[in-house]
Amino acid sequence: MAVLLFFGLAYPHHLHYQEQYQLFLFDSTYVWEIVKQPGGVADLLGRFCTQFFLFAWVGAAIIALLLSAVQLLTLRLSIVHSSQFIVHSSYGLSFVPSFLLWLFLLDENALLSGVWAVLLTLLVACVIVKLTKGWMRRILLIVAIPVFYWIVGPVCFPIPIDSLWLGVHYYRYPTAFPWLLWGAAFSAFVLILAVRFFNRKATASNRTVLMFCSFALVAVIMGFLVWKNANFKAEKVMQYDFMACHQQWNRILETVNAEKPNNQIGVTVQNLALAMRGMLLEHMFDYNQNSIHGLLPDVNTDATSPMPTAEAFYQLGMINVAQRTVFEAQEAILDFQKSGRCYKRLAQTNLINGQYEVARKYLMALQKTLFYRDWANETLPLLGNEKAIASHPEYGRLRQCAYNEDFYFSDHVTPEMLESLYYRNTDNRLAFQYLLAYYMLTGDREGYNRVISKEQ
Amino acid sequence: MKRYISSYFLFLAAALLLLASCVNHPDVPSSSKEAKSLPAIFPDYCNVTVPCNIAPLNFMLPADEYEACVARLTTPDGQQQTYGSGVKVQIPEEEWHAVLDASKGKSIKVEVWGQKADEWLSFSPFEIRVAEEPIDEYLSYRLIEPSYVAWTYMEIAQRNLTTFEESQIFNNEITMNDRTKGQCINCHSYQNYKTDNMLFHVRLSNAGTVIVNDGKVSRVNMKRDYTISGGVYPSWHPTAKLVAFSTNLTRQAFHTSNPNKIEVYDLASDMILYDVETDSVSIVSNDSTLLEVYPTWSPDGKYLYYCKSVPLPEEMQGQDIRTTYAKIQYNLYRRSFDLTTHGFGEEELVYDAASADKSVTLPRISPDGRYLLFALGQYGCFHSRHHDADIVCIPMEQYTGTGLTAETASALDLTLLNSKDYSDSYPSWSSNGHWIMIASRRDDDNYSRVYFANFNNGKIGKAFLLPQEDPELHVSLLKSYNRPEFMVEPVKISVEEFSKVFDK
Repeated sequence: MAVLLFFGLAYPHHLHYQEQYQLFLFDSTYVWEIVKQPGGVADLLGRFCTQFFLFAWVGAAIIALLLSAVQLLTLRLSIVHSSQFIVHSSYGLSFVPSFLLWLFLLDENALLSGVWAVLLTLLVACVIVKLTKGWMRRILLIVAIPVFYWIVGPVCFPIPIDSLWLGVHYYRYPTAFPWLLWGAAFSAFVLILAVRFFNRKATASNRTVLMFCSFALVAVIMGFLVWKNANFKAEKVMQYDFMACHQQWNRILETVNAEKPNNQIGVTVQNLALAMRGMLLEHMFDYNQNSIHGLLPDVNTDATSPMPTAEAFYQLGMINVAQRTVFEAQEAILDFQKSGRCYKRLAQTNLINGQYEVARKYLMALQKTLFYRDWANETLPLLGNEKAIASHPEYGRLRQCAYNEDFYFSDHVTPEMLESLYYRNTDNRLAFQYLLAYYMLTGDREGYNRVISKEQ
Repeated sequence: MKRYISSYFLFLAAALLLLASCVNHPDVPSSSKEAKSLPAIFPDYCNVTVPCNIAPLNFMLPADEYEACVARLTTPDGQQQTYGSGVKVQIPEEEWHAVLDASKGKSIKVEVWGQKADEWLSFSPFEIRVAEEPIDEYLSYRLIEPSYVAWTYMEIAQRNLTTFEESQIFNNEITMNDRTKGQCINCHSYQNYKTDNMLFHVRLSNAGTVIVNDGKVSRVNMKRDYTISGGVYPSWHPTAKLVAFSTNLTRQAFHTSNPNKIEVYDLASDMILYDVETDSVSIVSNDSTLLEVYPTWSPDGKYLYYCKSVPLPEEMQGQDIRTTYAKIQYNLYRRSFDLTTHGFGEEELVYDAASADKSVTLPRISPDGRYLLFALGQYGCFHSRHHDADIVCIPMEQYTGTGLTAETASALDLTLLNSKDYSDSYPSWSSNGHWIMIASRRDDDNYSRVYFANFNNGKIGKAFLLPQEDPELHVSLLKSYNRPEFMVEPVKISVEEFSKVFDK
């Protein structure tokens, strides 16, 4: 319940972040490419579940279920080795692996495959222990390790050797050792041994006390660690990006009115929402600004920070620039995955540019997904249908706004680019707002007055 | 009980074997309406000329228009067979090669029926002509996203052209020891179509040039104090252990509206000669005011051909190259080469493209020395993204020492090879000179694909797409085929062996 509430209420946008940086395809080639790697089955299950993170509460429920299952299986393994009362006494310790996994998942680069790996390892261990005994059990456990290494990765035999762990798809940085995941796997292993030790020491008289104490101790310590290590700043930034991605302009304004953003992504999204509601010029200085870096910031080569800027480029009608920004962001995803969000935007920009066959490629890929399929099926008939595109409220408008005179994009957005965009189509009120905002933020009165006088 | 279980497993195994060997040979539709047109198959293999050893030319009808497709192949001696599963026609390799053997020097007749809205349409039959000449068995290429600056996973792969087998030569993951830099691998190149002597570059993380010299792998750094960079675009001398390279300072610019999207240009480029045996670098040309690039040897090794820019008008000199790049044009030159002294003769103008307001890139001389192939565009040295880029072929007998021009040269008719309004670039010859290969973005204007065309005594056949087991692969694949190169044999060195010459 705590996990469900945490991810559903306090951390939902981390789940959205996870979902948007992968693309689960119902395609045999895609599946085979994953499962043939060490840890492949766990990875596949992790990716399968992650697609549901599009809906934060569903994602929270999945994580809660998985972590509960880990706890129950850890407890179950303890039962086999211990007397009933010691199980009750060390009940709290059975939560340790789950809590460590919870800590692991606080990092947006931690992947659900790690949780599945631990879960599957415990499940198979339970089955082996239940069905076999004596030498048969020992032999089976030894034989299972190399087989299971291929299915779930090194979690099944948690020795912290780099060459075993690095490159297995538990963490988005393939060269970073996932210590928390290792700790979760190792703790389950250690727990069973510890329980055996306590089995000799505890007496019936202190059973109940031990049970409550162990649970309370673990809950308090782990709860404190989870809350302390949760990255709520990143969560806020992800929230802004999510709202921009889903064009929730009103919700963005409500959010910034409640708490003004003071980071680049937040300010960029805030300004975009203000402009989309026609309020940028009148209200921009009611909020924090970061000079022009909060309007259309320079794009870095990473997967996250360019996305809100790409959204702004797209809404402005700078279609080629939006396309390049999104393409580059996707190329910068650390574990080489593709992104449903990026594919969707690439399909849209190619459609607007009239590059229908390229758009078709992205749409065909999205047809193989669960949650982008419907949108892809609705969009495919637009390809080549000039009338339908012209009358489409979004694509038709953006086609009218896009540049018709070519020039090279500079290293930064310049007022000349915005002027060229605005004078291409003076109905592009977004470009008008951004142009004047640019001059206001740089204190360029001459530029400002020139545009205003042309308006009059 | 045990007997039943083993029988069950035997039955299951037999069923699986049977299923695996099953090929769909559907019946020809008993009634159909005549469509009076060629079928709109993808890839378009109608009336092409193919090598006698090529992999099956699998194709399909558009899935959003048709429900099913049946194709009947008829060999010159009258043997027939039908194929079709859904909208796809996928011919087993063995059966296809038998058809090719029976049709060598002649044509296969192909009839296609398509089911649309419960009605069968019968299309006009077409031919696939089977040339006597085979194509080189292997092809290598880099598989990359059509990206701008950033990139992710990339690999250099090789493909057996007689089957669908593809394997990896190298990838950018295995030796990338600094993820903040990333790693780019590129410019794979072979001496005389063979792989005992070959090379490819690695940039950024764990950088260097990997050279295979008589099968032995090493990694070298070609950058010297007197060169502007390490070697970039390579060309192996046909007989000696020498490689001509351009050295380049390359940049990119991005269009805001032009569908060409990306402009790649050189701030500076020169040429060097690398001696593989002595690891020495000598300058071929380093005029700092002009740009020399794309060296290529004549088949006898006596000439080095290359592209060189013409000087800009005076009023444009000294300006930012991004404002003048549309005026930078390259002509084709050559210099004689003395193998004994490694000396070069005087520069000779071979083709004056600038006089026709054009720019030459990527020259290749045919293996018999009789023909010159190159890519021609409006400007610049990187035509991969230029919609107007086309392939040009000129008989070398027309060159008598005076630079050819568009007016004085009679180029061969490449209408069936070039696409209309899409970039066609990176031309090359097969080792027997009977097949031309190009990289083209004609399918969707973004993803580069490999096309072949028959070359027979100055006549060029219709271009056809690299065949795939699943004909839909070229539509769904979100990677470009970059720098396709013919080989007569596969690269025999494994990825792991290559990786041993890198730092850990």
